[in-house]
Amino acid sequence: MAIHKSLFASLLICLLFQISHGATKERLFSDLEKGALEVTAKPSREGVLDAGIDKLSITWKLSSTATKEAEFTTIKVKLCYAPVSQVDRPWRKTENELFKDKSCPHKIITRAYDKSPQSFEYTLERDIPTGTYFVRAYAVDAKDHEVAFGQSTNEAKSTNLFSVQAISGRHKSLDIASICFSVFSVLALLVFFVNEKRKAKIEQSK
Amino acid sequence: MRHFQRYIYATKNYSENLKELRAKRLEKNKTHVLSQEERVFFSRLLGTIMAHHNEDEGSVGTSMHGVTAREQVFSFSVQGEDDGPSSHTVRFDDPTAKFALPVDSEHRATAFKPFSFAKPHMRAFHLGWISFFTCFISTFAAAPLVPIIRDNLDLTKSDIGNAGVASVSGAIFSRLAMGAVCDLLGARYGTAFLLMLSAPTVFSMSFVSDAGGYLSVRFMIGFCLATFVSCQYWTSVMFNGKIIGLVNGCAGGWGDMGGGVTQLLMPMVFHVIKLAGATPFTAWRIAFFIPGFLQVIMGILVLTLGQDLPDGNLSTLQKRGEVSKDKFTKVFWYAVLNYRTYVLFLLYGFSMGIEMTINNVISEYFFDRFQLELHTAGMIAASFGMANFFARPLGGYASDISARFFGMRGRLWTLWILQTSGGIFCVWLGRATSLPIAILSMMLFSVGVQAACGAIFGIVPFVSRRSLGLISGLTGAGGNFGSGLTQLIFFSSSKFHTADGLSLMGIMGMIFTLLVAFIHFPQWGSMFFGPTSDEKKSKEEHYYAAEWTEEEKRQGLHEGSLKFAENSRSERGRKAASDGSSPSTPPENGNPAHV
Repeated sequence: MAIHKSLFASLLICLLFQISHGATKERLFSDLEKGALEVTAKPSREGVLDAGIDKLSITWKLSSTATKEAEFTTIKVKLCYAPVSQVDRPWRKTENELFKDKSCPHKIITRAYDKSPQSFEYTLERDIPTGTYFVRAYAVDAKDHEVAFGQSTNEAKSTNLFSVQAISGRHKSLDIASICFSVFSVLALLVFFVNEKRKAKIEQSK
Repeated sequence: MRHFQRYIYATKNYSENLKELRAKRLEKNKTHVLSQEERVFFSRLLGTIMAHHNEDEGSVGTSMHGVTAREQVFSFSVQGEDDGPSSHTVRFDDPTAKFALPVDSEHRATAFKPFSFAKPHMRAFHLGWISFFTCFISTFAAAPLVPIIRDNLDLTKSDIGNAGVASVSGAIFSRLAMGAVCDLLGARYGTAFLLMLSAPTVFSMSFVSDAGGYLSVRFMIGFCLATFVSCQYWTSVMFNGKIIGLVNGCAGGWGDMGGGVTQLLMPMVFHVIKLAGATPFTAWRIAFFIPGFLQVIMGILVLTLGQDLPDGNLSTLQKRGEVSKDKFTKVFWYAVLNYRTYVLFLLYGFSMGIEMTINNVISEYFFDRFQLELHTAGMIAASFGMANFFARPLGGYASDISARFFGMRGRLWTLWILQTSGGIFCVWLGRATSLPIAILSMMLFSVGVQAACGAIFGIVPFVSRRSLGLISGLTGAGGNFGSGLTQLIFFSSSKFHTADGLSLMGIMGMIFTLLVAFIHFPQWGSMFFGPTSDEKKSKEEHYYAAEWTEEEKRQGLHEGSLKFAENSRSERGRKAASDGSSPSTPPENGNPAHV
């Protein structure tokens, strides 16, 4: 009962934070300035890239059409899902409310804003899932609010996409350990069973 | 009343000897103090009466052996140093004296001491519920790790939903089979087999690389949920009917808690393994070794420390001829013919079934609807499952208390009230738009539905004696069936918004709960009708002996059922006391010197 009560209490505290924190975040994606940055993302090789091994060559620079340049303090570069990787996966859904939007969960790099063209060599992390992606760079102001963005694909998110194959996560040592413990479990049971049957037979013959 | 008649009979026959002894004593010693021979005679006489008394009486009084004034008997047993062959110490062969807890005529415990580990009753209880708890951890271990697994294996929502249905479906069949296995092989082997043969399936999560593999492994792990049946069966043979509601409620509830504990345990283990240096996609696979280890350890403990029946292990007792092996076809036949089996199947599907569905679905629901962090949603999911710690025993206890006053009718009404209120709060949960209200309704919902589970298993032991194992299994299977069905209808497609799915599930649950009104026992009645007026059919013995054919009765195979019938008279409620089935004060309590 005590555990239950303390869980409930901590829950209440957590959600109080959530409520107060979330109330201010109704900034929308559609309010952001589109195409303020020109972003390119070039894969290190053709075909499906391997997570943990292959690299992306990412560059970004201020576009000539940008208007809110004065507010830029930081550039946040993220890896985003293309629509084909969002099908039947509501946890990757694109939402207009920025704090709800889950389509760009993977951070690549965060750098202070610089007028000159920037570039970064990004090695795909080992926890990137299998899917099709593009790169987006958010321009963030001093209050940590997004004001503009640029992406390596077009508005319909259909060009310049690249595919990544995740690592399997499997290891030979893990497989062997798994087999060993399974065999032990079955053997131990059989040994007990046979032993007891023998003991019961001895008792019966007494 | 019978023992009094025996007493008269005995003294009449021995009265000549008694008169002789008395005359001899008065002549020789001229004293009122009993002579040696008289003392021997009395202790043998009273010993005979006591032996008969213990076999005939029902549960009332037997468990109090040694606590009442009957100790007098032993104070007259002769030391016999000087007398030789004419003196006999009363060799009172009381097998009940070797148990740590008070027991009834079937050697089932009549008291429940949760902090004790005494052989065999409390030990069986603890081994049973912890085994079941471990299996719940394994079955729902994937749920809190789904956000990592779905990225590793590239799963879609339908993949995840289907795997959730698969994780509870396997147990439909294994719970059915488990009942029969327990009836035939004993609860100990049932539990150990399940734990140790499904541990490899838990370990095999390390091989999974796509949606198909994930679904198959979750399906196979789900088979171990049949430990529920072996656990309930084990406690039902170890504990008396008066407290079985509470005991089964505790065992079931504390086992079900595993579904809540796993929502906290697995993320924690995953986090620790990540800290040790593993990448997320490998760490979750390693994390699955923990439930696997737990299962193997529990399996070994069950085999080494457990005991099938109060008097010993099944195979030993069977070979000694004390417990007869029953035929599976008969056990199956009498389970299938009893219409109450099906009613309980459906009822459990909408109490336990709903609970298991929520285990799979609630974390995601809170995460999406209220934009919570993953660990916050996990904590809420955990508190739903952990309410089982007190909620399910509460249901069993409520069932037992209502049975004390109103008998079986009390148990049925308690069940209906608990399950319907669970359904009402489920509807409220679906309608709730603010987080505090949602949490409040979820907690009330969890108590209602989990207590209903406890109340159902306060009734199951009375539906049949011969097919207890199979009916426990069928009821348990109903739980999984209900879970698979509700997940399939309400939570696997985009037809329903999850909130509406919850409300509709609550309404469906309430409709099916109306079936409680159809459970009728000829000897005890039902929710709205009393027991049958037929003189013969209104006896508990008639109901339980009806499961045996004439031929089997002639062989005396139904003795166990008759003993059970007598012990189950408590289900008449308060009326049982006024029925005269309680013993009148035995006259031998008086000081025999006054005879």
